[in-house]
Amino acid sequence: MALFYSGEGLRAVGKIIYPAISIEKGDMTFLTGPSGCGKSTYLRMLNRTLLPDQGQLFFEGKALPDYDVLSYRRKVLRIPQEPFLFDGSIQDNFNRYYETAGYSVPYADAIKEALELACLPISILTDCATLSGGERQRVFLALFLSFMPQVLLLDEPTAALDETTATLFFTNLKKHCLVHGITPVCICHQADLVKAFADRVICLGGAQ
Amino acid sequence: MNDSILMQIRQFSIIYVLLLLVLLVMKQCHIDRTKQLLFSSFKMTVQLMLAGFILTYIFGSPNGIFTALYLAVMVGFAIHRVLNQNPGLSLRFKVIIALSILVSGLGILAFFVKVVVRESLLNPQYVIPLGGMLLGNTMNSLSLGIKTFRESLSGQRARVEALTCIGAKAENILRPFLLQGMETAMLPTLNNMAGMGIVSLPGMMTGQILAGSNPMTAIFYQISIMIAICTIVTVSSFAALYFGCRTMYSKENQLITL
Repeated sequence: MALFYSGEGLRAVGKIIYPAISIEKGDMTFLTGPSGCGKSTYLRMLNRTLLPDQGQLFFEGKALPDYDVLSYRRKVLRIPQEPFLFDGSIQDNFNRYYETAGYSVPYADAIKEALELACLPISILTDCATLSGGERQRVFLALFLSFMPQVLLLDEPTAALDETTATLFFTNLKKHCLVHGITPVCICHQADLVKAFADRVICLGGAQ
Repeated sequence: MNDSILMQIRQFSIIYVLLLLVLLVMKQCHIDRTKQLLFSSFKMTVQLMLAGFILTYIFGSPNGIFTALYLAVMVGFAIHRVLNQNPGLSLRFKVIIALSILVSGLGILAFFVKVVVRESLLNPQYVIPLGGMLLGNTMNSLSLGIKTFRESLSGQRARVEALTCIGAKAENILRPFLLQGMETAMLPTLNNMAGMGIVSLPGMMTGQILAGSNPMTAIFYQISIMIAICTIVTVSSFAALYFGCRTMYSKENQLITL
């Protein structure tokens, strides 16, 4: 049984119509296709932060509305394209995110580990206002990676990173997912990265 | 009222001379607001004279219907002002704001008049001025509170999206914005209370003293009205923002509509 499944004719944001799509457990799946074809929209539907206009999506054989929405989103975690960090240090950000989600604040070691995973081995007390765009994106990625979900949906996670860091990030990510049994689904515009890391590629041709 | 100093129209008119001073300062500073100053002064004079005539008539022939009507106009105007200064809210949010003003306004006014002052709920001499003070403060505070809530939330799409993605409750995501709105709504009243008696003798008390009341009686009234204002501002802003926030998402989907 596929981890995710949606039948042909799934429609969203009024105009995007999708073919039948299935995503297998454990595979590192990449969604590719031209801009505007609905890749990000599909990821949003996958973690139920956007509802389809028509059709249904299924997770482990069960329709998404049958799950409790909050625990489902924690299980199928999407990392948005645009990073958001609060004012304050990296640790403050982890604390604010965890508290808002209703978790107890993470240990310093767990934060450090997440930062290393996101290729940013710096002090957790660093003020986020002093970080560059690429560093902010990596703090944001580290934050989401630390939640240890069952599925990780990544929307252009390396858009603000240079080629070397992007490759290192995907290497770490793939290893991390394999070790912890997490299924990653990524959107990435860099063809060489897709070629190097994808177990499976789903090309959305933009059936509109 | 009988002991109060009756100002003759001629004497009263002399106060307008002060406006010439304002005009002079504005001219020196090149503040081009002459028309606005004259229009506002004129509008205030006409509105208050009109209110004076109406109140004289209502006080002269007390009738519950007139008192209720006057109160209804005050509540309606307060709701209209708050909504007018906060465009772009959903219809459900607007209804919540209107209900918050109506219920908290009338509830606290009724408590004040009936339980504290022990007067009839339709006695115009108490209900109209006290209602005016309570509703006027509610109107100003709530306008500020809702405006702060809206402005602090706008431009926070990335924050709302990120927190929604990690499975945070919509209520938790909106709470910091709600608190910011409430703080802004309450701050002027709290500042006012802290400075009262030292920085200023408040309007109501001044009025009573000028009208010949015992200063201690005026002070008791002033303390009571300040506590009532603080309560009404807190209750109405909490009700408007707390229940208003709930109109921004459905419990089932936990998706916030910005």
